[in-house]
Amino acid sequence: MDWIEGGTSAVQAVPGAVAWRRFFKRAEPALYIGPAFLVIAIILVYPLGYSLWLSFHEWTLRGFRQGVPWVGLENYRSLLASPEFLNSLRITFTFVISAITIEFILGMGLALLLHHDLRGKGLIRSIILLPMMCTNVVIGLTWRLLLNYEFGLINYYLSQLGIDRVEWLSKPAVAMPAVILVDVWNTTSFVALLLLAGLQSLPDEPFEAARIDGASSWQLFIYITLPLLRQTILIALLWRLIDTFRIFDVVYLLTAGGPARATETVSIYIYRYGFQSFNLGFASAASYLMILIMLVLAALLARAIGRIQE
Amino acid sequence: MKLRRTINAGLTYFAVILALLLSFFPIAYLLITSFKPPELTFAIPPVWAFNPTLQNYADVFAGGTFTRYFLNSLTIALVTTSVALLFGTFAGYGFARFQFRGTTWMRLGSLVPQMLPPITIIVPLYVLFNSFRLIDTLWALIVSYLTFSIPLSIWMMTSFFADVPRELEESAMIDGCTRLGALIRVSLPIVAPGLAATAILSFIYCWNEFLYAVILTGRDARTLPVTITSYMTNKAILWGRIAASGSLVLVPVLAFALLAQRYLVRGLSRGAIKG
Repeated sequence: MDWIEGGTSAVQAVPGAVAWRRFFKRAEPALYIGPAFLVIAIILVYPLGYSLWLSFHEWTLRGFRQGVPWVGLENYRSLLASPEFLNSLRITFTFVISAITIEFILGMGLALLLHHDLRGKGLIRSIILLPMMCTNVVIGLTWRLLLNYEFGLINYYLSQLGIDRVEWLSKPAVAMPAVILVDVWNTTSFVALLLLAGLQSLPDEPFEAARIDGASSWQLFIYITLPLLRQTILIALLWRLIDTFRIFDVVYLLTAGGPARATETVSIYIYRYGFQSFNLGFASAASYLMILIMLVLAALLARAIGRIQE
Repeated sequence: MKLRRTINAGLTYFAVILALLLSFFPIAYLLITSFKPPELTFAIPPVWAFNPTLQNYADVFAGGTFTRYFLNSLTIALVTTSVALLFGTFAGYGFARFQFRGTTWMRLGSLVPQMLPPITIIVPLYVLFNSFRLIDTLWALIVSYLTFSIPLSIWMMTSFFADVPRELEESAMIDGCTRLGALIRVSLPIVAPGLAATAILSFIYCWNEFLYAVILTGRDARTLPVTITSYMTNKAILWGRIAASGSLVLVPVLAFALLAQRYLVRGLSRGAIKG
């Protein structure tokens, strides 16, 4: 008890000063980190709140002047019963999983290649970096031209090789692979460069020890490289998950969700309800479900990342 | 043994060159198409030897609106980036220097705004800006873009500050500097390249953004990505103009990316290594 009383009296003796200093010491991180969080919170609090409110109400362009009735969970209920919404979820997950899988396989290959001591390293990395920096709108339109059925270069060269031309963007069965292809082109470099940076930071000792023990390069990769890269892989996965899950512009410009909703991701679905049929209550409920799914997935990944760090 | 090594090296270079070609080809195709006379855009088989023309570029600049939208894009990206850097630098410093309970969680938490798919908040943002009469102004986009550029800046700057040895600041603080003084006089000059890379990345994100721009702007505050899509009219898709305006939009991005390549990668990935 003594030291507590001593502490109080010291504070009383120099009124404010010590307490202030102690408070400042504890609050110092908040002074640096706080403002950024505050700005983001101010910008986001209204949109998120209003969106939540909307999701429990019926708001349609035809009816909103007569009032916006409270409908409880009705929007959510009909969403989860709607085959179109479930379809958009299925489409999104198909896209997320296939695109990320391909990007990580190719990205890892590319990272291992670039990990060699190559001539012109800087230039090579710069060129590899270009696709991920490109404006999505430009990417979408350029590929739309490349994949064009009649005039596209891809079909032209396929036909030169004796392969039939493919209706890339207008046949449901190939539209999704085409969208995945464009995303793979766009972001494999991102995955590769992150993994490369991870590879370069690995210590040499475990590799030398394993080599002395006669491990093959494949064994080195599976038992040493991959486990050591776990952290980098998880963070790259988090970034890619965030980006693929929300994908909008590339799909919008390539196929606009078509043909026959074969590429209608959740973002495109919400766009259709929010900005084409102006059913805002419904669109907001879909938005909240989307945010919820994203946050759950991200939290799972974040927990895995946090575990490694502790 | 020596033969095998030569073959391996050959295969490596072959694969690297293939990756380079695949990465660069669509971009090169866009640039080439932008200089093609419009009647050759769709020529099949494709014509690679032609007299380059500036016709498409002249078409894009005709009417004068392109320059205005170019300036819109530039202003929005520059203002957003400056504000984001200001807040992101301090927050990044805070994360790199202070260890407190839940640092990792807060750092990952700072990515939450980034995780919100834009489509999910754009309806209420529209309503919000509408009530302030900000629709179709540059402000609407600047405010919206802060939601992703601040988290991005925090992420990048944390990793750059983490690389600066603590001791440098500590010795400055012993010499009588406040922490803020040490940050500004000692650490900031050291992370300057990282700061530049962060600025470039944030600039590129704003410059490239499409969804917010297409919904929150109309005739006045339109940005370049939206302008490009305006060449897809109901009657026809004007590919020549799309290629020319697309190239104009890409050139600054590509130049920046080449310039800051090394630091961009380090900033994005260091977070991945050090956490």
